[in-house]
Amino acid sequence: MRILIVEDEPKTGDYLKQGLIEAGFVVDLVRDGTDGLHHGLTEPYHLIILDVMLPGIDGWAVLAGIRHAGRDTPVLFLTARDHVDDRVKGLELGADDYLVKPFAFSELLARVRTLLRRGTKASAAEFLHVADLELDLLRRRVTRSGKRIDLTAKEFALLELLLRRQGEVLPRSLIASQVWDMNFDSDTNVIEVAMRRLRVKLDDNFEPKLIRTVRGMGYVLENPDCA
Amino acid sequence: MRLTGRTSITRRLTLLFVGASSTVLLALGLVIASSVENHFEVLDMEVLAGKMELTRHALAILKSQDDLDNLGQQMDHSLVGHHGLEVMLVGTNHAVIFATQNAKFSPDLVIDNATKRPHRPTLWKLGDQTYRGIAAELPTGIDAGVKVYVAVATDIAQHQAFMRSFLQTLWLFVAGAAALSGLLGWFAARRGLAPLSAMREQTKAVTAQQLSYRLPLESAPIELAELAQSLNEMLARLEEAFRRLTDFSSDIAHELRTPVSNLMTQTHVVLSRARSADEYRDILASNAEEFEHMGRMISDMLLLAKAENGLVVPSQEIISLADEVHALFEYYEAVAEEKNLLLSLEGDGKVSADRLMLRRALSNLLSNAVRHAATHTALWVRIRTSSNNVSICIENTGETIPHEFLERIFDRFFRVDPSRHRSSEGAGLGLAITKSIVVAHWGTISVDSVDKVTRFTIRLPRAH
Repeated sequence: MRILIVEDEPKTGDYLKQGLIEAGFVVDLVRDGTDGLHHGLTEPYHLIILDVMLPGIDGWAVLAGIRHAGRDTPVLFLTARDHVDDRVKGLELGADDYLVKPFAFSELLARVRTLLRRGTKASAAEFLHVADLELDLLRRRVTRSGKRIDLTAKEFALLELLLRRQGEVLPRSLIASQVWDMNFDSDTNVIEVAMRRLRVKLDDNFEPKLIRTVRGMGYVLENPDCA
Repeated sequence: MRLTGRTSITRRLTLLFVGASSTVLLALGLVIASSVENHFEVLDMEVLAGKMELTRHALAILKSQDDLDNLGQQMDHSLVGHHGLEVMLVGTNHAVIFATQNAKFSPDLVIDNATKRPHRPTLWKLGDQTYRGIAAELPTGIDAGVKVYVAVATDIAQHQAFMRSFLQTLWLFVAGAAALSGLLGWFAARRGLAPLSAMREQTKAVTAQQLSYRLPLESAPIELAELAQSLNEMLARLEEAFRRLTDFSSDIAHELRTPVSNLMTQTHVVLSRARSADEYRDILASNAEEFEHMGRMISDMLLLAKAENGLVVPSQEIISLADEVHALFEYYEAVAEEKNLLLSLEGDGKVSADRLMLRRALSNLLSNAVRHAATHTALWVRIRTSSNNVSICIENTGETIPHEFLERIFDRFFRVDPSRHRSSEGAGLGLAITKSIVVAHWGTISVDSVDKVTRFTIRLPRAH
């Protein structure tokens, strides 16, 4: 997967590039709008991450140029100004998603993966697996090592999200938004508690432990034996 | 001259003075001129009518054509002493029977006037002289019933000269009076508007540093007192807004200082000597948490800043409050169970609101209630609908909040217990955000805390 980053702020650009390379992507970084548009039009990318405030031509013009040329490469734009107008403008110009600075890198990574996954068909599988854990999507049933685990509806939804995106670190904000449809932060540790309870049911009596906390970033579900 | 738009008041008033006084003086002048003119005409008519009567008598005693031919001398006699008075007699055959020295009117004109406008004053022009005259057809004493057309006229050059000079004086007077009244008007306007200039001078004293200044009301004239009052109220609002803005900036600076200082110290200490990878990971993770916290605070502050500039409710839809509370109960379910809290809902109501914002407002209150509730208690949400309003009470049993704190509970960064700091309780912006969202939805929020029960009540307009 090849990603183009157009970002003029040196530190941000470097860290985004490093982070995405370490997450397994091939990344090109350019520092201004002119180069961004040139690259976006000539090279094949799976995704473009575009800062709005750029020297030369701004992010809007780059986006418009790319869309004008008939390219439908997914575009995620980054903005420091959280104005409704900005979001609307970006989405009207054909951006696929946006993030407001400052953002958590894990949030960016999750959005990037979502955008890249878009287009490929969501698995219509009836079962989701990791290690000896099995999730029966039709009967809403969870077993581990053949033993039935009782989960509440929300715990099931939480586990399904973790399983579908296994190996990815999911930030709390993403979990709150995907599982509970709460698109804002709560100052109560709701996600921590929910996670802890899920772990008690899922990992306490079994080995290996599947859910891991990545401090400062979020949660990840993976089979440590395969990682 | 347009008297609207950006004309100065002094100029307007001056022009109005000039206009009004000129109009009045001009009208007065015209009335006087016309009555003088009338008076002259009446005087003339008296003389003319007398002369005409004289002529009638003279004609009536005529016995023959010869008498008529000799009439001239007789007329000359009777006209002695009448300067400028002209008489002309014309026969039916258009022949001039008699005419005084300057009476060179056309016989046709005389006959025409005598038949069409007998005894009515008419102006006749003769060379550069103007005459006022009357004409009439008079019978003679001659048996044959001979008639004579008589014209009597008087030179009105003197009158005209008088009227000319009169009108000239009048015009000059009007012009002078207009100029004078303009000057006086300008002076009066300046004097009248002096309090306004004084007010302007006073407002110059108001600067960002001196927003506490108020215009003195006692010295202002009645008309301006209200304006001064309004200006003072505006100043008060500005001062309040300005103070809030200043507080806001200093709040941000103050609240960011602690985490930044923590981060700096922590990082410097860690960097001061080599450490194990685990230690580095640990410190980075701790930093990440701190950064996340700061990021959240910044976006909360931005939301509040927007709210203080009049938060715009992005989209409105009809929302069932019970549905929202159910969704939030699911969200807080796990935390509540940990504390053995019973989450209970009663009633329902519909409001028109932005779903995300309303949910955020309620979430903050629930989060607050869950956090402060004592274990093994019930947390109640009661929704009631009245004719115009929907009220939502969120009630928890815990500790009574002291009365002096209740007033400030919706203030930014206010924490009942300052020692329970950021980690457990967020930045202390939750309730401020809730309040601004409620206010943006034309609602009110209140709180009371009695006998360990703390109750937040939101009232929103009911959706129909």
